Amino acid sequence: MSVVEEHHLFEPMIVAFCCNWCSYAGADLAGTGRMSYPANVRIVRVPCSSRVSPNFILRAFQRGADAVVVAGCHPGDCHYVSGNYHARRRFSALRRFLEFVGIETERFEIHWISASEGNKFAAIMKDVTDKIRVLGPNRKLRDVR
Amino acid sequence: MKAMLQKIRKEAASVLASGEADLVLGWGKGPLWWQSYPAFIEEEKETGSLTWDPFCVPNLSKYLLEELWVKQKVALFLKGCDALGFNQLLQDKRVDREKVLIFGIPCSGLIDPQKVERAGLHQGLHSVEHQGGELVFSYKDDQKKEDPSSFYYDKCLTCRHPNPVVFDMMLGDAVAVNPQERFAAVGELEKQDVSERYRYWERQFSRCIRCFACRNVCPACSCRECIFDLTDPRWLGKANVLSENQFYHITRAFHMAGRCVDCGECARVCPVDIPLTSLNRKLIKDLNELYGEYDAGVEPEKEPPLITFNPGDPAAFLES
Ligand code: SF4
Ligand code: SF4
Ligand code: SF4
Ligand code: FES
Repeated sequence: MSVVEEHHLFEPMIVAFCCNWCSYAGADLAGTGRMSYPANVRIVRVPCSSRVSPNFILRAFQRGADAVVVAGCHPGDCHYVSGNYHARRRFSALRRFLEFVGIETERFEIHWISASEGNKFAAIMKDVTDKIRVLGPNRKLRDVR
Repeated sequence: MKAMLQKIRKEAASVLASGEADLVLGWGKGPLWWQSYPAFIEEEKETGSLTWDPFCVPNLSKYLLEELWVKQKVALFLKGCDALGFNQLLQDKRVDREKVLIFGIPCSGLIDPQKVERAGLHQGLHSVEHQGGELVFSYKDDQKKEDPSSFYYDKCLTCRHPNPVVFDMMLGDAVAVNPQERFAAVGELEKQDVSERYRYWERQFSRCIRCFACRNVCPACSCRECIFDLTDPRWLGKANVLSENQFYHITRAFHMAGRCVDCGECARVCPVDIPLTSLNRKLIKDLNELYGEYDAGVEPEKEPPLITFNPGDPAAFLES
């Protein structure tokens, strides 16, 4: 049995924090354009990628996320000018730090997706979901109470 | 040691007598050999109770947060690592430099009571003193002399700034700076694979009793309203579960990212010996690698790496 088949019954839960001005609109475009992307993705709309606090990401893992994605405007395009530049530094450090305490980098991704990139949004979400299907469910950081 | 103690008492007495300061923060001796505690001195006649010995490790600068509410001017003594912490409070705009008078103490390392105990030297011990290059252990009727190097606090072995970087008056000559490589433990952990590392930290974090000593002692950790105390939203619960401990540790370390002065106080005060230094240093190392060298606490005017950016910054993820 292949790894993919083994995880057949496992449906990953992906939490995606999407910037209102770009990636959320990108998700919208994917929807209106009838591009399909996995139903595993739960979108949380945020005003800017820099609005995402590391706590949000930890909380998502505590409450059952198998992977977390932060999606924001392309560098240079942030609605608030510099939010995503700050986010880039913050989440670069956080991603390495999470890996240091034992969380696989596949489980925390950062992407720049514009409002016109509905297809990119769909492709990324499919890619993340596929990777997590192979990696398996996340138990780390999970609050099992 | 004796000469430094005399200077400490003399300066304390003089600033209180002249009214230059209305409070002096120093160290006083507790009943046991290893107890050198923060002392709050307001009267000239009390300055004789001030002490300086190899156990004066608490950083006095965080007490300024409370004392400066009620005092006009506070004089305090800072060792090298303490001065870095003071600068962080300054950068965070938590203290007013004008209201503080700093006596700098060049520091050649302090002694870890646990190491004394492990070496079996603690029974009947009265006091420990640096004399020349030796550490003198005094008992009721005899003395033992030892090489101090095996008794220093771990944090002193990697100390990069034993000479205070901020002061109004320096109380001694600069000491030699000779730190061991500080990222060695981080490098070892990085070599492990990710699940091994998870288990390693799981073992560490599961011991945490969430006493918050590491937070309370930290000079970079001075928010009036701390996320760990909030009840609405309640980010951190009270239950003793691993997940909450992990949340606490990842958040605590990350809140210090780019601001931790690597004074080692958090790891020193931890009652269950969690290697917090490795968490802090991982962040320091990565931020240095990604966004350029930055030494928190050394130049408080310089912006810490996570509150600034360059449009051409590299990322630790694939940008597309
Ligand atoms: S860390 Fe440095 S300045 Fe601080 S007590 Fe140790 S040797 Fe002294
Ligand atoms: S995190 Fe620890 S080492 Fe860093 S500044 Fe705070 S107490 Fe010092
Ligand atoms: S000092 Fe140690 S036991 Fe206390 S909260 Fe910090 S890590 Fe946990
Ligand atoms: S507004 Fe989209 S990342 Fe800042």
